[in-house]
Amino acid sequence: MRAVRRTTAHRTAVHRSAARRAVALAAALAVAALPAACGLGGSGRPSVAHKGTLVIGVKADQPGLGLRRSEQGGGYGGFGEYEGFDVDVATYVAGRLGVPPDRIRFRTTNSSVRERALADGTVDMIFATYSITARRKTLVTFAGPYYVAHQDTLVRSGTRDIRNVRDLKGRRICAVNGSNSWRRVVEERKIAARPVAAPTYGACMADLAAGRIDAVSTDDLILAGFAAGRGGTIVNAPFTDEKYGVGLRKGDLEGCEMVNRAITRMYQDGTAGRLLRKWFGASGLKLTTSVPQFEGCT
Amino acid sequence: MTVTPRRQAAAPAHPAAASRPRGRPATFVRGRWLRTIPGQLRAGTVLVLLAVVALPAVMGMAVRNARDSVQTIGHDAGPQVVATGTLYFALSDMDAQVASVLLIGREHGLGIGYDETLRVYDRRRAEADAAAVQAAQLAARDPDLRLTVQEVLQGLGRYEQLVGEARLLDRQADHPPGRLPAKVVDAYRQATDLMRLELLPKAYNITLDSGANVRRSIETQRSAVLSGRAWVALTGTLVVLLLVAGQVFLARTFRRVLNPALVLATVATAALVAVGTGLLSAQAGHMRTAKEDGFDSILSLSRARAISHSAFGDESRYLLDPARADTYEQTYLDKSLSVLYPDMGSRPVNLENYYATLDEQVGAYTPGKPVPFLGLLGTEARDSGASGPEADQLARTLNAYRTVLDNDRRMRDLAARGDHAGAVDLRMGRTSNAILQFGAFDAAIGSLTGVHRHAFDEAIRDADGGLRGWRALPPVVAAAVALLVVAGVRPRLAEFR
Repeated sequence: MRAVRRTTAHRTAVHRSAARRAVALAAALAVAALPAACGLGGSGRPSVAHKGTLVIGVKADQPGLGLRRSEQGGGYGGFGEYEGFDVDVATYVAGRLGVPPDRIRFRTTNSSVRERALADGTVDMIFATYSITARRKTLVTFAGPYYVAHQDTLVRSGTRDIRNVRDLKGRRICAVNGSNSWRRVVEERKIAARPVAAPTYGACMADLAAGRIDAVSTDDLILAGFAAGRGGTIVNAPFTDEKYGVGLRKGDLEGCEMVNRAITRMYQDGTAGRLLRKWFGASGLKLTTSVPQFEGCT
Repeated sequence: MTVTPRRQAAAPAHPAAASRPRGRPATFVRGRWLRTIPGQLRAGTVLVLLAVVALPAVMGMAVRNARDSVQTIGHDAGPQVVATGTLYFALSDMDAQVASVLLIGREHGLGIGYDETLRVYDRRRAEADAAAVQAAQLAARDPDLRLTVQEVLQGLGRYEQLVGEARLLDRQADHPPGRLPAKVVDAYRQATDLMRLELLPKAYNITLDSGANVRRSIETQRSAVLSGRAWVALTGTLVVLLLVAGQVFLARTFRRVLNPALVLATVATAALVAVGTGLLSAQAGHMRTAKEDGFDSILSLSRARAISHSAFGDESRYLLDPARADTYEQTYLDKSLSVLYPDMGSRPVNLENYYATLDEQVGAYTPGKPVPFLGLLGTEARDSGASGPEADQLARTLNAYRTVLDNDRRMRDLAARGDHAGAVDLRMGRTSNAILQFGAFDAAIGSLTGVHRHAFDEAIRDADGGLRGWRALPPVVAAAVALLVVAGVRPRLAEFR
């Protein structure tokens, strides 16, 4: 026995190191395989469901929906004080995702940059009268809608002979640069209204009050927001469905499902009804306070 | 090779220490025994045996995860979620049947007939109840979802009451088809508004929300199965490497070429790991097929079917409530767009352009070629293969849909020209096959769903079948490997006795 041991003593050291090398190799393989095992669930940027702070894109020029209160309040990109239905809904939803108001940053996000802002991560979510359409759904994951607005018509108080969209025939309506709303009357519905160009909806309101146009036709919530400050009557003859969705980075299904749950709760606990009345109650618009049909997260 | 050899193997433990029994623990800790060959042999054997025991444990965990995910999507929540999809369909079809009954008025033979329409209504009511039971079960641990289900059921009671009032007024009015008195229209408006603005959205959300739960648990379980697979491969590789290292050690130390028992153990381990990781990959694949080709498609086709029934109902509503005709025409367009959204370029999105582009693009549709249209059927077309039963049924469905839209175009043409009675006759099938052709579309979408249901069932069957026997196999193989290791080492240890 001793003899055997002695003769093989020098070899033992060699063998032991060979065996050790094999074990080390196995360990190295283990370490190499680990990231592969852990990385299976990840897909780039984190979901809004797991963020400690949120940057939320809103409009800055829509009274009642998203309005920046003081122009000098913000810096580049428009940080500052925002108010409106979209802002309140965003704050509620962020709260349900576990982000308190002091960790939300609002950011002006105009219609033309919405898809890009989500794709490059400038904003995490968008609440900005963002209508869900089949084409946009190929670029953006939409939670919600949190409200289904309808295109409707605003006239001067006292106007009696415009009761629905067909009555706009021969009338002067506001055609805001870059907005589709007037086309929906003139091109989609083929009603021979006379479009009068205007730079913004704010300018439309001034034109309407001054009698330069007869009606403004766009989303009822936008009309209600303007009407609340300047008068005018909404005719309550809706003729389209505008599904205001919550824009999320394409593919964030988990965040989308969480936002949908938050919206469901917002309607169940009465917050949605309260916010709708707070911002649009005075406008005379018929409001829907029951949860909208969600689009489904894709 | 049971108890006896093991006792023999254990008997000559620590031969170096055996001469000084009292100092045993101290010697062990000092580790000098590790410098002896039998000491190394024993230490190595223990290491290999530990790794061999870890293998079935890791495998068992991964297989358990796989089994859970089959259970979730194949047997528990998956089928229940699909069942809740019926709720939306049944509710929306109830309202469509009511619209038909009111539209035909005193002419009970029009359409599918007064009695048959009411029979369909009752059947849908029963289906809605059954689906609500499934939804309530799914919502057992989710208070928000449960509240939504309750709201739908309560709302349904109110809806039936409003429908009862409208039908009473309708019977009293005894009107000709398509000429409803204002008070009947008013009563129906209350019912249909409740249905369309409150109940249907909630019913739709129930299926979405419970479907989201299934998606989440499938995702979690699938990544657990895949990381389980990685752990199996890792542990397996470790065992194989240790066995090879042992082989090398024995070959050099004892100058033998191969240790047959260890070779056998190595081969058995490698085979178990290869088959095990293969099985887990296949399971993850079955889950993906069941989810994407089965579950997702079944759900989105059930939505497409429900939405198109509801749009078909909008045609009746368009005819029975002229003051709201514009609104119902718009909702018809919106619903049609969500079923199939042709690429209209820069043309205004209205029905006229919808008919034209739909006709063009569905007419040019060839399975396997790029699909220009979006919407629920667009998504299905994009995911479909170039041939096979799915592609055939899809082509049939698309063509049937095109016919349905063509009937709609003809009906609206008549109505726009002021021929209200002609439009009603066309819609109710007196001067057309509108109802039969809608039925053909419904049947086509049903068969397409059947294809996906078959794919789903098959994937679940494969998954169930693949897992059979995997509770016992890994421990049995591991035990055999352990015995082989002991058997391989024992004669070498005996050399030192």
